[in-house]
Amino acid sequence: MTTTVSGRSRTSDMVIVDADVHVSDTPGALAPYCDMPWRMSLEELGQGPGRYLDIPAFAPSLKLDPPIPGTPAPRSVRSAAEMRDGLSALGIDIGILFPDNLLLFAPIPNIEYATALSHAYNRWLMEEWLLREPDLYGALLACPQNPQDSAAEIERYAKEDKIVAVYLPTAGVNPLWGDRRYDPILAAAEAADLPVLLHSVTLVSPAFPCQLDQFENHYARQMLSHSFAMMANLVSIMHTGVPARYPKLRIAFTEAGLAWVPYMMWRLDKYYNEYRRLVPFLEKRPSEYMKERMWFATQPIEEPDNASDLVETIAHLGGPERVLFASDWPHHDFDHPRAITKLPMSAEAKRKIMGENALELFGIPAPAGKSV
Amino acid sequence: MPEHHVGSEADFPPGAHRVVKVRNIEIGVFNVAGTFYALPNVCTHQFGPLCEGEVNGTTACNAATGWKFTWVREGEIITCPWHGLEFDITTGQCLAQPKVRLRQYPVTVEDGEVKVIL
Repeated sequence: MTTTVSGRSRTSDMVIVDADVHVSDTPGALAPYCDMPWRMSLEELGQGPGRYLDIPAFAPSLKLDPPIPGTPAPRSVRSAAEMRDGLSALGIDIGILFPDNLLLFAPIPNIEYATALSHAYNRWLMEEWLLREPDLYGALLACPQNPQDSAAEIERYAKEDKIVAVYLPTAGVNPLWGDRRYDPILAAAEAADLPVLLHSVTLVSPAFPCQLDQFENHYARQMLSHSFAMMANLVSIMHTGVPARYPKLRIAFTEAGLAWVPYMMWRLDKYYNEYRRLVPFLEKRPSEYMKERMWFATQPIEEPDNASDLVETIAHLGGPERVLFASDWPHHDFDHPRAITKLPMSAEAKRKIMGENALELFGIPAPAGKSV
Repeated sequence: MPEHHVGSEADFPPGAHRVVKVRNIEIGVFNVAGTFYALPNVCTHQFGPLCEGEVNGTTACNAATGWKFTWVREGEIITCPWHGLEFDITTGQCLAQPKVRLRQYPVTVEDGEVKVIL
């Protein structure tokens, strides 16, 4: 189903960059961009039912919930023009594109197939989306199954203006992103001056966060999957010294909201007091690395009864400079820009969160007709 | 500021440290390779008995070490026995918290007698 949200107010006086929107990446759409023999695999998968975030060997999420009548059908965006319209209706100027199904890319175990699939997605993203709309930018899919190849892929795309980040598939990634086997990917991203963006999704898998099958329904799994994945991967990259070993690497965490960040920041600092000898490569407190070179995307923004509590949370995690607006359009839990612009914050703080931070982080020029 | 006798030099061979009481203040006195230092016996973290901890070295791992773990500063680091916070005995600097530094009391050694000034 395709819908747009229309007739809602625009916040037209500030640049709005959306750090997390999703394109519909079906096996059939990617097949023409895939090398043989794996093109045949995608063609065959494309013959199957068009399940959303639940396709064997493509989006292995192990969906466990019975369908319940009345649940809104998932929204998908199938073309660049449709994405442009959808974002414009939300008053969003610029979108950073992520996949739908390949949010579940990391658990795919076949290394050659996964490598070909990552190439196909990146080609398709460039040709079908990024080169067709000026204000759509992309995050290059990294392939944790094949770090050496993925590093070469990053180098290939490093000079493309429309590739502004590297997407680290985080759902079901095993081991987590701090593992040294991924060093080539992180080194290539740093060398290309591309920030890395961690993005998870709900899945049931033996990898972290595991045992989500013990919850009876998706409500519960949704509570923990994204946020635990971000917390675990933050700890993972800290405990092997990624911020120290890659001193220019910029890291952003998406789709887990903001309130987990102060908790982890304080916890990492507290135990750094005691265990510094185990992590001597961290020559600053973990919170300092986080406040210098890490960013946190808003969606799904917490909605406390007292909105000023959220403003205080932003102060705790390092201030508006650390925060990137994200809608997650067109997913079921997308946030309208108003979820942030209505907060009791200064206009300057809102401009940073809604767009200025992202323009700087991604190296994107301000869109026509707007200045910062 | 008055000098307070805290022991003879023989009580503090190189590498030794002891907690002494001067007036009502507990002070750790250290002999680090022949140089004397004195620090408060109160950890900045949760007020644990810092100077009752072990004197040791610590780990380093950075570009200069080729990102290999190395053992450095042997005999110069005091670790709080409560929660493991490390301090550089020679400067009072907390290793985990750059903004935290202990006060240091001057120590003199004259005629084989060790005195702390406060």
